[in-house]
Amino acid sequence: MSQWLQQVIDRGQAIDDWLSPLRAQALDALSNTKWPDRRVENWKYTSLEPLVNLQLSGYAATEKATIEKIDDLNSLDLVFVNGKLQSDIRALPLPKGLHISSLLNASVKDQNAATGLFTKIKPQRHLFGLINDALAEDGLIIDIDADSQIEQPIRIISINTDGQESHHRILLRLGSHARATVIEQGQGEKASFSTLFAEYDIGEQAYLEHYRLAMHTHQAIHIGGCHFNLQQRAELNTTMIAYGSDLSRMDIDIIHNGEYAKAKLNAVYLLGESEHFDLHSTIEHKVANGTSEENARGIVGDKVKAVFNGRIHIHRDAQKTVAKLNNRNLLLSRRGQINTKPELEIYADDVQCAHGATIAEIDEGTLYYLRSRGISRSQALVMLNFGFIQELVNEMPNQHLAQWLKPRLKSRFMEMEVK
Amino acid sequence: MLKIENLHTSVEQKNILKGLNLAIKPGEVHAIMGPNGAGKSTLGFILSGREGYQVTDGSVSFKGEDLLDMEIEERARKGLFLAFQYPVEIPGVSNMQFMKESLNAIREQRGETPLTAAEFLKKAKEACKQVQLPLDFLKRGVNEGFSGGEKKRNEIMQMILLEPSLCILDESDSGLDIDALQVVANGVNSQRDGKRSFIVITHYQRLLDYIKPDYVHILANGKVVKSGDASLAQDLEKEGYAFLGQDHSEETNA
Repeated sequence: MSQWLQQVIDRGQAIDDWLSPLRAQALDALSNTKWPDRRVENWKYTSLEPLVNLQLSGYAATEKATIEKIDDLNSLDLVFVNGKLQSDIRALPLPKGLHISSLLNASVKDQNAATGLFTKIKPQRHLFGLINDALAEDGLIIDIDADSQIEQPIRIISINTDGQESHHRILLRLGSHARATVIEQGQGEKASFSTLFAEYDIGEQAYLEHYRLAMHTHQAIHIGGCHFNLQQRAELNTTMIAYGSDLSRMDIDIIHNGEYAKAKLNAVYLLGESEHFDLHSTIEHKVANGTSEENARGIVGDKVKAVFNGRIHIHRDAQKTVAKLNNRNLLLSRRGQINTKPELEIYADDVQCAHGATIAEIDEGTLYYLRSRGISRSQALVMLNFGFIQELVNEMPNQHLAQWLKPRLKSRFMEMEVK
Repeated sequence: MLKIENLHTSVEQKNILKGLNLAIKPGEVHAIMGPNGAGKSTLGFILSGREGYQVTDGSVSFKGEDLLDMEIEERARKGLFLAFQYPVEIPGVSNMQFMKESLNAIREQRGETPLTAAEFLKKAKEACKQVQLPLDFLKRGVNEGFSGGEKKRNEIMQMILLEPSLCILDESDSGLDIDALQVVANGVNSQRDGKRSFIVITHYQRLLDYIKPDYVHILANGKVVKSGDASLAQDLEKEGYAFLGQDHSEETNA
């Protein structure tokens, strides 16, 4: 047993709340888990050293975080600072059909419903999912009634400040024929460690538009996940935008549990000097007639280590599945590294599948062409970077969010420039 | 406008230009002809600042300044324009974005205010029309999937938009049919205003039927071996490069 994991278990055991029965299962699983090293396939290219060596001051800055409004988005904002919900849910004007409660004061009814779902969506194999199960006390339970069309985007902002560790979780149930938009936005740059796992149960013929903006940088270590359960004819459109830090990792699961469900996952990772980022995605086609499409594009800067592992698993009964997976990478430096592995595992015989991965470099001839038209090298690089991911940004269904994102991506590209 | 003196260059340790001299005054059109491998394209790359092309001796002054000391983008901002023989394709970056960025960088250098999207669009549409490219080319990725002729016209469109003071056309006629050749030539001629200078690099006299040069220079083995007026090009068309008395079998000029 690693010392680090042991202290997690000790802390988890000391928590006593309505989640304790679930927590006990996680703790049990954790005590039987080997601390991953490079021999463990899921962690082959991601070392947990930065986490183990992280020294947190624990300095409890009760700073009031300022939240940047997104023009024209008109979102319903819920703010977590270091894993603690700051927003007063009771004071929020919630549209009809939308119910939100915090884990800390969930009603018995919510507790019961959540207890049933918490073990069903997120797979048990995620080490940090288990750690989050063991340590998260705060979080949200969001319920959307059947047939409710929630137009207002729900924006969940998680901020990590200097010296802090935090764990929180989100559960959202989308009733049948309902519609909603959720934006998960995480940020932090000072020495910190956070986990955030979100689970979505998308009901029959319901539609979820989802975004995960994991913008942790520098010393802000973040390991998180998004896990989606799709019922019959449910539809998911999700976009992930990630930056890298000393250690960042995202695990995504999309599980087709009902026939004729559709999922689209676009993922973008933009990694600057010496950052580490790891994206593991799994799409489970458990039943027939499902469709999934995943496009992941990464720009990998100087001395970066990046990992992409995209798995499509088509079960024996999942006939007539159509699944596509593509990963493209652009290396900005010869010292950048990307380990990419698209995986197909197919047990049904009547399916259409495609997968592929490419790694390209910035072309000097292209840079010369742009510069010969008066465009500076930096600006030319920004244009080429934008060009590489533009398609995915343009595909974001919410263009107010895309407009807000663009200048931020531009400054990100400028930070990533290899001089 | 441009003064090249005793220019020596090398690419990957191979000497290409070996003492080239050329002086161009405002408003003049100079044609540079010569066999493959003579160094014609190298001249364009050297003047525009392409990396990997080394100047080993000599000097180039552009509007009285040391051109060789400038960054690639600085040369462009100061009014030098190279129409590429093989323009690159840049998927994901639209022609519109590219040209707006380019024009505004150059306007900034000239002390002009950047154009708004609407102002730019108006100008771009006019330029598009002038080279007979459909307007949807503005939305497409830079040169992405363009035919050879469309790429050449796109170069001329950029030239029209950027209003440079010295235009270098590197085989802007190669691979063009007669109609496209006329479009390109008309585009160039529309920009002749008595102040703007041109270097027209070509293999064939054909282009010079449409773009009348003031001077024709023959470049061979890294030097100007003969200069004259437009009639020199016609003589060359009849007699070929045989008078140079050396082997000019096919060599690719990059």
